[in-house]
Amino acid sequence: MFERIPFSSFGEFLNMGGYAFNVWTVYLLFVIFLLVNLLGPRRRRKQLMKELERRAVLAERQQPDSSD
Amino acid sequence: MQETQLLANGFSAFAATLKRDLLVAFKRRNDLLNPLMFFFIVVSLFPIGITPEREALAEIAVGVLWVCALLASLLSLDNLYRSDFEDGSLELLILSPHSLYFMVLAKILSHWLVSGVPLVLLSPILGYMLALPEEAYPTMIITLILGTPVLSLLGSIGVALTVSLGSRGLILAMIILPMSVPVLIAGTLAVGQAVTGNPVGGHLAIMGAMLAMAVSMAPLASAAALRISIN
Amino acid sequence: MWQWFHRWGSPKWFYDLSGRWLPWLTGALILFLVVGVVWALLFVPQDYQQSYTTRILVVHVAVASTSLAFFPIMAVAGTITLVWKMKMADMVAKTVAPLGAWFSALTLASGSIWGSVMWGTWWEWSDSRLTSMLFQFFLLISVISLRSALNDSETAAKACAVLSIVGCVNVVIIKYSVEWWNTLHQPASALSMNSGSANGPAFWVPTLVMVIAMYLLMAVHVMMATRNEILRRESRSQWVQDLVLAAK
Repeated sequence: MFERIPFSSFGEFLNMGGYAFNVWTVYLLFVIFLLVNLLGPRRRRKQLMKELERRAVLAERQQPDSSD
Repeated sequence: MQETQLLANGFSAFAATLKRDLLVAFKRRNDLLNPLMFFFIVVSLFPIGITPEREALAEIAVGVLWVCALLASLLSLDNLYRSDFEDGSLELLILSPHSLYFMVLAKILSHWLVSGVPLVLLSPILGYMLALPEEAYPTMIITLILGTPVLSLLGSIGVALTVSLGSRGLILAMIILPMSVPVLIAGTLAVGQAVTGNPVGGHLAIMGAMLAMAVSMAPLASAAALRISIN
Repeated sequence: MWQWFHRWGSPKWFYDLSGRWLPWLTGALILFLVVGVVWALLFVPQDYQQSYTTRILVVHVAVASTSLAFFPIMAVAGTITLVWKMKMADMVAKTVAPLGAWFSALTLASGSIWGSVMWGTWWEWSDSRLTSMLFQFFLLISVISLRSALNDSETAAKACAVLSIVGCVNVVIIKYSVEWWNTLHQPASALSMNSGSANGPAFWVPTLVMVIAMYLLMAVHVMMATRNEILRRESRSQWVQDLVLAAK
């Protein structure tokens, strides 16, 4: 199950036995996929919180006016 | 006793809806003719777009006929609930005490009678124009008879889901076309078998099973979808 | 049992619980991802037939097997929406669909990149798994676009629930019919994905690690996106406003 690393140099690792383009494209797409699906909701949460805060501040400002 | 009463009620609702829808359809002859002409025109574009050679055409004939039947049925599906939705009679249909299942089934049946059956009747002519081998004709007609109602049934779910939308042509296509893949596969395979002279019984049985499944389940899903869309 | 079920229906309860679980799940996700990727890139042995393209398969198989879970999840969520009118189920269904489309798209992309080596072509209709994955992708897109087309969120919830259930049944039928289609068309030269010797523990253990990572990714993404959805839909409720003011 635990094989030894089949590469003897870093260049060989990058080359992936001649399939560098295929292997690295898939891993690049995989990383993009991970980033989009993990950072996307996080960014959206920040936007949402900002929006909700803005609304809360507006509501607070309006309340004393209406009670007068 | 009560069950027979219920069944009789369901049947009379079914018959009344069917009669009404057929009448409405025959009042609007253009709507009836347009999908058929569309079918004719699209099929006749293929020889021009690909090749007029008879051997090449014969090979693709079945697939072309099936895909065009699919598109033509998609085009005519718009009539299924739209006018009823716009004039409010769909709401009455849902509020009526009769089972919606039978009325939806009647609407689908009338849609098939006015759009699917003419298509089946036209198909031998188009098959001839596409140089379909002679021995494939009976199988082609039987598969179309079994397959076009499935297209109407599946389509009814899509139309029911999107009936309240203003512009829904594209969404309807996106919902219905992927769902029609199994019918397309079964239909073209059966005709392909017939062309090569192999027995087609098994293929027709599978198409029959698809039809039975669609008849029992699609009206339920359509009825649920209509209730949702009307609210 | 029923009390537990109803608690899941409460957005606030879900929000609090997922807030506590998220750090742990994210940590586990990062751990499994790093182990899986490093293992796949460095230690998976060279296959006599496929050379180093087995490294593509580790990612591809993990993503593909996870992407099969999406329609069943959406169908279950849809059933809960229709039967118990539980809003939480719809929020989950809404966030799951786009993620499923991403998973399907990555499956198709990695499969075709792997195929470009093994089959000598970027697309092979005679591979029934790739073909039925394509139609699953189309159906997921149709659910997403139906939701975005319907303005009223309650109508959208129920309509998407119906479409998800119908779609789930359909995906299964499509899968079998595409397989049937292929057995009769007799692929001339293409290798099926089973061939080659991409099996044995040196291959499937890292794949299993990646599969777990993908399910964790699904859990983390769905939780984060569902929390956003809760904040958006419940923005008028007191507890969300308290939460926003506290965070300020």
